[in-house]
Amino acid sequence: MAITIYSLCTLTSLACAWLLLGSYRRTGHRLLFWSGASFVALTVNNVFLMLDKVVFPDYYLLPVRQVSALVAMLLLLYGLIYEKE
Amino acid sequence: MSDLIAGAIAMASFVIALFFLRFWRSSRDRFFLYFALSFGIEGVHRIVSALTFDESEDTPLHYLVRLLAYGLILWAILEKNLPARRSRSK
Repeated sequence: MAITIYSLCTLTSLACAWLLLGSYRRTGHRLLFWSGASFVALTVNNVFLMLDKVVFPDYYLLPVRQVSALVAMLLLLYGLIYEKE
Repeated sequence: MSDLIAGAIAMASFVIALFFLRFWRSSRDRFFLYFALSFGIEGVHRIVSALTFDESEDTPLHYLVRLLAYGLILWAILEKNLPARRSRSK
């Protein structure tokens, strides 16, 4: 159950990153690039979630997970502020 | 420290949601509305999980909310791309 949910989180975020970066390659909209970059970081975040809960339950990986989520949000925020619509 | 970072992540999510909401208002493109909803949900999820964080209650079910948020983004991208593909095939 847990493995299924965490894997689905990782796979959906990876799919988002893949589709967003694919759209960026086709259209060249910079905002799609920053959204894609953000979802790449969120995928890393979900991989660490899985490592933390399933693979290494004895290690305390919360700080790594939080920092990767924060990086994801800041990447998109940077894109939203500095790129034109 | 972890609560501080969780708060920063939630705040950033809400700001991102507001940006997309503004794009939606100016363009009326539903693509941006789905993004706004997704990041709004993500922000609420971060706050709720930071407030109720407890080893015994930290169940995987709680991450279904995250799946919903990612599902909205996937749906937004697919909805944007499908009509284009359909019209191209005509």
